[in-house]
Amino acid sequence: MDFDFNSLLAFIIFGITIGVVYGIVALGISLIYSGLDIVHFAHGEIYMFGAFMGLFLSQELGVPYPFAIIGAMIFAALLGMGIERVFYRRLTQAGGGYTVAGMGMIICGFGMSVALMNVAFLIWGAGAEPFPVNLGMPLQLGDISIPQSYVLTAVVSMLLMVVLNYFIRRTKLGLAVRAVAHNKDIAYLMGINVPLVISLIFGLGCALAAAAGVLIGPMQSVQVEMGYLMLMKAFAAAVVGGFGSLPGALIGGILVGIFENLGAAYISPSHKDIYAFLLLILVLIFRPSGLFGVIAKVKA
Amino acid sequence: MLKIKEVHAGYGRLKILRGINLNVSQGTIVALLGGNGTGKSIEFDKKVITDSKPHHIVRSGLVQVTQSKEAYPAMTVEENLMLGAFTRSDKAEIKYDLEGIYSFFPALKDRRNMLSGTLSGGEVQMLVTGRGLMAKPKMLMLDEPSAALAPKVVLEIFANIYKISQTGVTILVVEQNVRMALLLAQYAYIIRDGRIMIEGKSEELINDPAIKEFFLGGTVTDTSKELNA
Repeated sequence: MDFDFNSLLAFIIFGITIGVVYGIVALGISLIYSGLDIVHFAHGEIYMFGAFMGLFLSQELGVPYPFAIIGAMIFAALLGMGIERVFYRRLTQAGGGYTVAGMGMIICGFGMSVALMNVAFLIWGAGAEPFPVNLGMPLQLGDISIPQSYVLTAVVSMLLMVVLNYFIRRTKLGLAVRAVAHNKDIAYLMGINVPLVISLIFGLGCALAAAAGVLIGPMQSVQVEMGYLMLMKAFAAAVVGGFGSLPGALIGGILVGIFENLGAAYISPSHKDIYAFLLLILVLIFRPSGLFGVIAKVKA
Repeated sequence: MLKIKEVHAGYGRLKILRGINLNVSQGTIVALLGGNGTGKSIEFDKKVITDSKPHHIVRSGLVQVTQSKEAYPAMTVEENLMLGAFTRSDKAEIKYDLEGIYSFFPALKDRRNMLSGTLSGGEVQMLVTGRGLMAKPKMLMLDEPSAALAPKVVLEIFANIYKISQTGVTILVVEQNVRMALLLAQYAYIIRDGRIMIEGKSEELINDPAIKEFFLGGTVTDTSKELNA
């Protein structure tokens, strides 16, 4: 293949757009991890539910696409908070995190993943649903043309990151979220309603996953099994960036996206999904704490 | 202001407190010497708070400052202080109180944007005390403010506690440093083997021969004579 600078640039741009989506799912996983000390294995299914909800809102009810994103986020946040309250809370109350109850939590997460996938299967069936969204002509950037859905994805994801960062760093409630993430015992002494903040963290993480689902929908298609691969990629992104680090999740996502696209373009497109894990392995060998990894136990 | 009746507490089968009665009246400093715990019936501001959720207790004006080194090390000094004011929504007054804390503890003002993990032990104690005050408490419970601090710093901390009480905040201090606590408090309870062994006004306790023997090291003067000899 002749080397073509334009196509290299195009691969990188597409890598970044898909990467920021991995980034926001990873952000949700990181947020939940830093808040509850648990890895949420059913996060891919929340992403899938979000995508179906977005599809339902825009195709069945005719809601405009941007509002479908918001609707799906609210739905997923409520779903996530419900799941947290009914299932996970019993385990977090028994200790959670690094304790024996934490192990139960991981198993509970896997179980939730299977359960949610089967519920979705009963509702929507196994087929892949197209998610057509007409956003107008592709954007021309020199010789590269970028579909509007990619542009929108990048813009919305970036916006979500900025809003989340502002929320966490600059608002009072964000300060409480960080306090709960760092040390729940002291957070209680500050008069923070810790269980409520944990619910909020969970809801936020799930809303981010749903946004990713609705954004990815038009690029690929929506199907019951879409969550699994996204979870794996988002994990890779979170670990590459440094688990529990919020900016790390974004950078990790973008790196995974670029790496994967370049691998698919220049090595072999049929092994596209392997490259994310190749990057993951490389990072684990040379920098086990991740690129933005904070010292163990001190989190975002 | 704070009334504790018949409190039993322990870890599993091990009983630590075996029925404690305690009374803290408004505007005073009371010292609890020997141990701490929670339990059966605790009444604050004429309301029973035994089964209250922690955030409700803080909202009602009873604030606890735990032992040293319990700040959020990855947050700045100012963020730590603002966390103390989490239950409040009066923005202008919070800002005013923040400046108040800074003039009370000038060392914190110089370090307001530094991570609290970089502070010294004495500064962390100032920070957690200031953070407790940011909640605008009616009553502050201090858990071993002197723990793991140099004697000179302890003196400074205790002087600060006295100044805080002068502003009208009721204070209950749990201490191992019996001599310092008796100098600070007006009233003291001494707990031994899970029961209140003795209680009374500090100036009486400090001169009590039994207390001298037990806690203040009745033989200190003798030893010093020996050393001088």
